[in-house]
Amino acid sequence: MNTPDQKWPRLAAAARQAQDARDTAAPYGFATRLAALAMAQERAAISLLERFSLRALGLAALLAMVCVATNYATFAGLFRDDATISPSTDDPVAEIVDLVS
Amino acid sequence: MAEDESFDLAGCLERVRRRDQAAARALVDHLYPLVIRIVRAHLPRRVAEEDLAQDIFLKMFTRLEQYKGAVPFPHWVSRIAVTTCIDQLRAQKRRPEFRWADLSENEADVLDAVMTNENDVEAGDALAAHELVHKLLDQLKPDDRLVIQLLDLEQKTIAEISSLTGWSPSLVKVRAFRARRKLQKLFQELEQKERP
Repeated sequence: MNTPDQKWPRLAAAARQAQDARDTAAPYGFATRLAALAMAQERAAISLLERFSLRALGLAALLAMVCVATNYATFAGLFRDDATISPSTDDPVAEIVDLVS
Repeated sequence: MAEDESFDLAGCLERVRRRDQAAARALVDHLYPLVIRIVRAHLPRRVAEEDLAQDIFLKMFTRLEQYKGAVPFPHWVSRIAVTTCIDQLRAQKRRPEFRWADLSENEADVLDAVMTNENDVEAGDALAAHELVHKLLDQLKPDDRLVIQLLDLEQKTIAEISSLTGWSPSLVKVRAFRARRKLQKLFQELEQKERP
């Protein structure tokens, strides 16, 4: 019997002698079909992105306008000089001192 | 052909990036021999070689923007081909049992010759030896199978395998060791079974 270590190398050496005579050229129409498929796939991915990003941009702009319209009063108030608020109105300590005295 | 030195690969890639379909066709035709050799060497059972080649080319086109030219383009494509094949092999979880009864007469003769010192494997039995080797390789884990095939059948170096698979040289050596030990065990099991 062979030693176990020799069996696989002998078999592999014999297998390496096998010549693969099969044609390695692309089958007729393979490249054409594949090129069309690859380009179509890429185009679909791009157009999907384009469509979604444009929609998202439009929606974001619309939401921004609605926000400004509904909160117009608040926004306008920010830029007005607002000195009408009394500093003691919301001071609980002052209120307690007032009650005690 | 991938060996065709007159082919302007850089120019062709540039045109493919500009979405030139004729250039894409030329690129597929140029690389097909390289890809189909890898596919045929690592083709899992019940998978059509043309389907696997198509998957590889589609991956190549999808990832083309990621190719920065750090390695030659055919090498980059080879890596895609090898990893696609290994993914397919991993997907086939069930491995068929290896039995004398499933071997052809020529394959059984080759196995006999290998397991005894009496006869050398005849040159005419190379094809049977090739078939037998693949039946034995089917018994291995996909990663181990890939390593032993690249190492012992395609006679690539550890560094080349490491570069093709992305695995470290130590991992490649571990997988080769594990694969050879499993093959040794298979031969021992076959010795214990009588040839019918």
